[in-house]
Amino acid sequence: MELLQPSSLDDLDGASNALLLAGGTEVVPLLREGLVRADVLVDINGLVPHGISGTTIGAAATLAELEVDPQVPEALREACRLAASPQLRNMGSIGGNLLQATRCWYWRLDFPCRLHGGDRCHAHDGEHREHAIFANDFCASAHPSDVAAALVALGATMRTTRRELAVRELYRLPTADDRRTTTLEPGEVILELDVPPPDASTYLKAMDRKRWAFPLVGVAAARRGAATTVALAGVAPIPWLLEGSLDEATPLPGTAYKVEIAAALVGRARAALA
Amino acid sequence: MARLIRTEKEVEGRREEVWLVVDEDALEQWPAGPRNVVGRPATRNDGLARARGQARYTADVHFPGMLHAAVLRSPHAHARVKRIDLAPALAAPGVRGAIGPGDAPELSAECEYQGAPVAAVCADSFAEARNALELVDVEWEVLEPLLDPEAAIARESLIESPRTRERGDFERALAEADVVVEATYRTQTVLHNSMETHQSVCRWEGDVLEVYTSTQYVWGVRQEIAQALDLPADKVRVVCEYMGGGFGSKNGAGEYTFVAAELARRTGHAVRCALTRREEHVAAGNRNATIQRYTIGARGDGTLTALGGEFVNSVGAGGWVAMTEGPLLMLYECPNVKATTYGAKLNLPPAKAFRAPGFVEGTFGLECALDELAAKLDLDPLELRRRNHADAEPGGDRPYSGKNLIECYRRAEPHWERRHEVRSRSTSSVKRGVGMASQVWFGGGGPPSYAWIRVGSDARATVVTAMQDVGTGTKTAMAMIAAEELGIPVEHVTVAVGDSLRGPYATLSAGSSTTPSIGPAVRAAAADAKRQIRDMAEQRYGENADKHSLAELLSVLGNAQILGSGSRGPNPTGMTVLTFGVQVAEVAVDVETGEVTVDRIAAIHDVGRVINPLGASSQVEGGIIQGVGHTLSEERLVDPESGRILTTTLDGYKMPTIADVPEIVSELIDIPDTQLTSLGAKGIGEPPIIPVAAAIANAIRDATGADVRLLPITREEMLRALAEARERSRGAAAAV
Repeated sequence: MELLQPSSLDDLDGASNALLLAGGTEVVPLLREGLVRADVLVDINGLVPHGISGTTIGAAATLAELEVDPQVPEALREACRLAASPQLRNMGSIGGNLLQATRCWYWRLDFPCRLHGGDRCHAHDGEHREHAIFANDFCASAHPSDVAAALVALGATMRTTRRELAVRELYRLPTADDRRTTTLEPGEVILELDVPPPDASTYLKAMDRKRWAFPLVGVAAARRGAATTVALAGVAPIPWLLEGSLDEATPLPGTAYKVEIAAALVGRARAALA
Repeated sequence: MARLIRTEKEVEGRREEVWLVVDEDALEQWPAGPRNVVGRPATRNDGLARARGQARYTADVHFPGMLHAAVLRSPHAHARVKRIDLAPALAAPGVRGAIGPGDAPELSAECEYQGAPVAAVCADSFAEARNALELVDVEWEVLEPLLDPEAAIARESLIESPRTRERGDFERALAEADVVVEATYRTQTVLHNSMETHQSVCRWEGDVLEVYTSTQYVWGVRQEIAQALDLPADKVRVVCEYMGGGFGSKNGAGEYTFVAAELARRTGHAVRCALTRREEHVAAGNRNATIQRYTIGARGDGTLTALGGEFVNSVGAGGWVAMTEGPLLMLYECPNVKATTYGAKLNLPPAKAFRAPGFVEGTFGLECALDELAAKLDLDPLELRRRNHADAEPGGDRPYSGKNLIECYRRAEPHWERRHEVRSRSTSSVKRGVGMASQVWFGGGGPPSYAWIRVGSDARATVVTAMQDVGTGTKTAMAMIAAEELGIPVEHVTVAVGDSLRGPYATLSAGSSTTPSIGPAVRAAAADAKRQIRDMAEQRYGENADKHSLAELLSVLGNAQILGSGSRGPNPTGMTVLTFGVQVAEVAVDVETGEVTVDRIAAIHDVGRVINPLGASSQVEGGIIQGVGHTLSEERLVDPESGRILTTTLDGYKMPTIADVPEIVSELIDIPDTQLTSLGAKGIGEPPIIPVAAAIANAIRDATGADVRLLPITREEMLRALAEARERSRGAAAAV
């Protein structure tokens, strides 16, 4: 495997079977597990904007920077603070965080599941306590990113090498025709995020231990005037904008408890912002 | 004079009669309380070496030209190798050797669990060996796995015949009981996850096989290899100087040792075989899951009259049936007891001993059931336990060598009293409570074990014994014991351990037995040396011998040395040697989200004389932290269809982090067991993990009224128990 450190994003064109590397906290384990393969690793740390300036966040900003920056809305700061471990937050970039693969053990162990192009979701009949309660019919995997839920609730937008879009539009539910969970095209790189300031926001998280665990349920809420937007982590194959009621959840037998937790945390988040 | 005796030996509840050669152990016990060295906190004599990275673990052993082995393991829970071709792997870059089923002990074509070792490859680098494994051409016959323990019992797929232990007339006593509690509890499969994975480096030096291995039993590995490879025992040298944890999972040689030995023989190079963290999660042993059904009968005043239990251990494809029934049989005075234990043979990785095997699981069930009884009778749980205290071994008159459980209860009172204040801090969403649980375990150690000591003209001593310090600090304890007996500073004692070529036999580090087994041998060796020094002093100074210091006396020796030797004597005949304790846990339960927070655990344990209070409190803390993981977050998950292990990484298998650790208050009774050896000391390695789960679960009941039924107490189990409790109180209200 080759490591490239190009001086411009333009140099990326034509690199075949390449993977982008920022913090490495996601890509390196996936490579090691054989879940992704690449001939070339492209270090993009010198190419993608760093730092935080007003409402603009460079895609290479680390979670550790974000969690302590007063310019950053509370929901995003808390989502960063409650994610992973300090070591991982020191390395992990916000751009990479948004592109995390699911922690579904069947997917991680390379079972021939639907997300891998197969014809069944093993979690449906198997162990699925960490799995989805929404949009889980085709694939019951849960999206692991606390940060993504916070950005969706905050109505954040992003700029890539090709377009501008709402963070929400980065994600798509996998279907029989297309198993991908993001809309990012090959060669497209996330550059910057813009997070419009809310009047108030918060992030609450339920996990299996006090620190360093992916969300069983994460609840991000942002209020602007009288309108509060709520998005959830760990409850669907993608970050989940809660547009209707939690009564519309379709939990598996082993994930019904997540609905109860989500109800409690959504109630608390709304109360905190009122 | 050496003496041949026949005596009873116990390891983790398994008793056997053995012949022993012992020296007379005529030493008087030291008076109770702190001495010059023993009984005072001492930092570890190898702490700096460990912290600085100077300590050489098996993972650090490296020889020129050393090769790295990787093991091909069954990806299926139940399968047979129909055909295997190693040739493509042997032709791969860097590969020096490959072996298949039958080429080394434990490599087999019959795979009874995922992770069962089949073949192995060694190469110049581990990456090359691992890549070559993928080239091994295997044709599998995949067989149906048996995964459900109840189905296994029904089909009589058992590790051994069911075991029933009975005293009195359980059925009659139950029929006559004033009150009966029936309860079923389940515990999960958990993994040891030692920091150092299972591993060995083997090399042949002429006809001697050198084995550098991470082990809890230097001498057991030596014997196992000598027998398996048909070598004279002293042609096998086993070395384990520093060890990164085992918790019961490293009592045997393991396939990695046999693989390294065979590949070293074939290639003429040293070979390392080390498990990866993922292999560690699959094929390195586990604490098996259990199902425990209790039927408890009592009188209205709380006196236990009938204790019944049916236990199912999901042992896996092999292993032994741990004493899940142990606490039921041993913890309380009760004349009528009946316990049956089944060991289900399943297509899952074999269980291995894990820090108080059986008793951790069984204490969770029994002590939760006892609190259910207390609730039913409206009795104080502490008072209920006092009323059922066993003054002698239950069901007989066999006395305890020493037991201070009542004193533990007395010392627990101030912690128990906090429950009123703790409860009062509850809010509408966060309920707080306090729970307790008692503990019984072995931990007396036993013979044989030996130690040598040499004292030089500089009045410094070196203790030599081929024991292993598995990370618990026993090496420091040995230095303290020798220093105390010789009357020299502990810094002047060096302890050489972990080499079967360079020291005498020392026992297995399991069953909390290292200090109580080897400590007396070390004291005897030091006393032997001291006797010789005293003789020398009398010859030189006559009646004025006492006026001369050790240093002065020894200074004339030059290169001459005083050599002492000592052995561990037998345990007291006709007596039961056990450890006891109680823990009091404080918890907060978020009743809307099911989050459980353990705020504080007070641990009061009776382990006889405490050699090193600092080392002992470290063991208490470590046991409690491991217990918190067992109680709240750790669980090995298995795909119910394929039998494949799903939690193979440290983010999927959730051990506690420092943020999960409660305030820990450690109190040791520190009364020497006057019947037990010249030290009166028992082991503290295992007792502290035993009551943790039950104390937490009972605190949860105190806080919320909810009965948790299984481990780990995840969000879903907590919310289920809370819903059940709400349902129950609604039903009770409707009935009124």
